[in-house]
Formats: sequence, C-alpha cells, structure tokens
Amino acid sequence: MRFDIPLIRKQLASVPVTSPYPHDLAVAIICDTFRMANVRPPSRQDWAALEDHANSPLWREQVGMLAHVLASSSLRETTAQVLVKSANATDILQRFFANIAPLTAEMVRSNAFRQEEFLRKWAHVVGGEVKDESPSQSTQRLNQLDYRKAQQEMVRAEEIRRKEAEQREKMLAEAARREAEARGWRE
Amino acid sequence: MTGALPADLHVAPRAHIRRDTSTQRPHIPWAESIAQGLAHLAALADEAEARARLDARLVALRGALLASPYHLRQLQEAGLHPGDLQRLEDLGHFPLLDRSTLARHWDAVPTLPAESDECVVVKSSGSTGDPVRVVRDRRDCLHMWAVLRFLVSRAGAVLPPRPRVVLLDALPGGLEYSVRLPIFHDGALHRVSVLRGDARERLCRVRPAVLFSDPEGLRWLAEQREVPTPRLVLTSAQHLPVGLRAALREKVPAPVLNYYATTETGPLAWECARGEGRFHVFAPDVWLEPGLDEVVVTRLRPSVLPLLRYRPGDAGTVRRDACACGFHGWTLEGFGGRGACHFLTPSGRTVDAWTLAWVFKHHALRAFRLTQVERSRFELEVAGAEEANVGPLCERLTAALRNLGWTEPRLEVRHVEPAALATRAKPQPFRTLLSKG
Repeated sequence: MRFDIPLIRKQLASVPVTSPYPHDLAVAIICDTFRMANVRPPSRQDWAALEDHANSPLWREQVGMLAHVLASSSLRETTAQVLVKSANATDILQRFFANIAPLTAEMVRSNAFRQEEFLRKWAHVVGGEVKDESPSQSTQRLNQLDYRKAQQEMVRAEEIRRKEAEQREKMLAEAARREAEARGWRE
Repeated sequence: MTGALPADLHVAPRAHIRRDTSTQRPHIPWAESIAQGLAHLAALADEAEARARLDARLVALRGALLASPYHLRQLQEAGLHPGDLQRLEDLGHFPLLDRSTLARHWDAVPTLPAESDECVVVKSSGSTGDPVRVVRDRRDCLHMWAVLRFLVSRAGAVLPPRPRVVLLDALPGGLEYSVRLPIFHDGALHRVSVLRGDARERLCRVRPAVLFSDPEGLRWLAEQREVPTPRLVLTSAQHLPVGLRAALREKVPAPVLNYYATTETGPLAWECARGEGRFHVFAPDVWLEPGLDEVVVTRLRPSVLPLLRYRPGDAGTVRRDACACGFHGWTLEGFGGRGACHFLTPSGRTVDAWTLAWVFKHHALRAFRLTQVERSRFELEVAGAEEANVGPLCERLTAALRNLGWTEPRLEVRHVEPAALATRAKPQPFRTLLSKG
C-alpha cells in the first residue's frame, strides 16, 4: 500500500484545522499507530528523550499536528500497513521531528506546501512510497519542498542582500537620475 | 482643435531622451526571440504543452525571488520558499502584490541592478495620485518593440524597409522628438504632438508605417483631411468609442490594434480584431491567472523587477481559448480598466479626461479627483497633499487645460481625507457633472 497524498490532503481539508488533542492524547494516538503495525511504541522515557533531543518550542505542537493528521485521514492506516515489525519507533520519530524541525502547526494547517512536506516526510521516515510516483520522483519532490534546506538558503540570500544594500541604494539612485518623463518611450 | 502652442508650455518637465540608440543593436536577437516566443505560444493548441513551456520559465523567476529583498521577506513570513513554485498552479498559494504595496516597496522589489542592466526608474501614470516608481532594465524598456514585431506579423501588416513609427501624442505637454530605432527593423521613432500647429504636416512628412496613439490622438487623426495611412495603428486599452473606431476606419483604412499594458508590467494582452473586449494574453512573457474576477499578473520574462501575482487593479476574467482569429492561449474577458470620462471644452469639443492624468504624477499627493462642474469650472479634490505642492500642481493643471482648449479654466481646490476618494476597484479620478446632452 502506498501513501495517497492528494487523498490525505483532501481528507484533512474537511476536518477542523486545529488539533483538538492535548499532548498526552496526541502521544497516545501516535503510539497506537505503531501498535497497529505490531511495532513497539516509544516508552514514556523515550518520549522525554525525544523532547530533549528536539529541544524546540515547536516540538509539542508538531506532536499534536502529527496525531491530528494520523487520526483524521488515511495516513494512520497506510502507516500501519507499511511499517515493518522490526522498525524502531523512537528512531523513526526522532528522524521525523528532525526533518520537520522548522515547521509550525500553523504552517501545516494553512500552507499547502508545508502540509505536503509534512506528510511526505512522514511517509519517507516510515519507509513508505507515494502513490503514482517512482521513488526518485518522490525524492525529487521532497527536495523541492524541503523547508529546512530552503530556510538555510534564504538566510544565506538575506545575508547577501544585506551586504548588497549599499550598492543597491547607489544603483537605484543612479537609475532614478536617468528617469525620463516620456511615458516610458524613452528609447 | 487647439492652435499652435507657445515654445515654453510650462506643463511638461524636461524629457530625457536616449540618443545612443546604436546600443539597441545587441538586443535585436533577443527582440526576435521574444516575437518568435509569442508567435509560437499563440499557435500552440495543446494546453498541456503550453503550460509546460510556461512552467519552465518559473526556474528563472525562482532565482529572481531569492534575489529580491521584498519577495524574500514575504515568502519567509508566509512559510514559503521559491522552490515551492514549480508549476503555474502553485501560484495560487503565493501572496498577492498590490499596486500600493509596490509603490511603498518600489526599491526592495527589484533584484540588485547591474551596471549593464542600464536601469531607469519610471513613474506610472498619476491615476491614483500616488504614482508607482517602477525600476526597469534596458530590456524592459525595449520590450514593447519586441512585442510590436509580433503584433505586426499577427496583423498581417507588411512593413517597408526601415519603417518609421509615429507616437501621436495628445498629452498637454506637447513633447516632440525624433530618434533612430535600430531595434525595430532599423527604423525611426517620431513623437508628434497633436497640440502643435504643424502636427498634420509633420505626420505627412514622416509617413509612418506604424502609428501609436491614444483615443484622443486617434480622434484628432480622424478629423484631419488627407493623412497618410499607416500599415498598423496601435492604441492602448483606454475607452475606444465605437463611433471613433468607425470614423477612423473611414479616414485611415489600417488595422487598429488595441493593447493592454501597464507601466509596472509592460504589455499584457491585445484585443482580438474579431471580438471587441476579448484580450489575448502575451504568453509566455506574462501569465494572467485564469478563473479570477480581477487581473493578477506574474511576469515570466526575466527582468530586474520580478513581479509575482501583481494586481494592477483592473477587473477581468482569464480563460483558455481557441479563438476564431486562430489564436490559441489565454484570453482576458470582461476587462474593466480605466473608466471613460470626457470633459467638454467651451467650444463644445470633448476631451478625454485621462490625458490630464499625466500632470498628476509629478506631484506628491495620496489621491485626487478632478470633476468638471461647469464648462470652464473644475473642482480638484486632493488628499495628502502639502500646501506647498498644491500651488504648482494647480499652475500645471491650468496650463494643461489651456493647452487642451479651455481659454479661462477655473480651478477650485478642496482638501479631503484619502478615505473620501477611496474606491474598491481601480481609482476613478476623473468625473464630469455635465449632462451628455
């Protein structure tokens, strides 16, 4: 069975936008998903270690959002089917939360691209494939969507823009001096 | 029509016209490729293939977004990044850019201009009283000439060697000049003001192959005796009355092509010769989002000014079209740009009020509305204008009205709050209280 991303997104579009689950319930929903696949879920200590490892103020809302999308769509059922019994739930979750580190619950709710990224990254860490796509196509799409990498690129770009500021001002002042008054027909 | 104008009109600021026209030559292959690209897309019946060609242009746009401080900040705030923009369908998830926002961030939207871009900053027309400063690179400035190559071939016009182009100008400034035009088949451009006494003689001397004008200029043309017939007449998408079209057809039996362009975006669409009010989109240079009830433009041609989901403030709906004229592509219908407004001179002649819009862009004010109350009496409502600016504005406006036929115009100024002039759609800064009869 493969993850049907458009179908899952459609299912999510018809449910409340915010996760209704308090943290403990969200943890229980995620643990249940692993149990459905006969995979031992993370223990209480494992969850504490996951939180420590993430060391992020966003982590709890990410847990809530994962539980919400699992419980509200076919994501949970597909996950249970693709997980292999030997899978390490704590390791999967650790990789998942590391991969989605900069995503806020609001982004997953309201931003089509970040929601798709969130779902695809889950599909990827549980070892699933995406419906109607070759593995290489899925990898390519994940790379396109990767907000963590893009954020680094944007920070670099911002740094460059900051360094350019003085030159930008100079060039624009020069362009303004060349301003003509002929309704754009200066050529 | 008005008589000859004095040498110093006190209306137009000095114009700076580029004389180094030989520097256009390196851009000729680019202009040819633009025309070919437009022709190719306009003949492509397969929508999927057309979309794939447009999608391919998003690669350059993604790079430009990353290089634009404004867009970069906007994308970060929205949890987006340029890589999210892979297909035209993705555009709907990106933020819109309003005209007023572009006006505020005019210096942060462009990418870093290079010396070789030869950028200029131009002002859009003063239709809001708050003109947008638009950064243009050299190719932005030359783009219309590349598009003209396409339009000439589309209209089936055959040009003579070294064609002469006339820009027939009805603006109150009375600006005139002549320059070489290597980019357009080694031709020449002559700007002729209809306000000058020798305008007709000059037009006859030049014998243009292509004539650009606005409805006011075309009205003047239709009133003249024996004027040369160009191979193609172009006008921009202002209100073009049916009667004027007919009168023009009688006097100048050349195809008249109406196109829609804004200073910020460049040319966007041209009106189909077979159906009034249907504008075919200049893809692949621009993309106008289908299915909306307003114009939303994304520029797909590389430019120093990346425009992503820009709203010029015009109404209209775009859909895929296979037109009887042979065009395949996207067509803008229900286009509602500038509302027509005609002022009446004391002699009973009508004047397109929009010819005055240009006067306002030289003065700092938030918004304005000019109302013709009586034949020679006008009310000017201004918002956000400093008292020191109002005097020179009135002086220039009065001079412009005199040039257009009002011998003794009376102008009353009223300061108002910007909200008093606000409209939901594009501002309608001209109105008349005179009855049509």
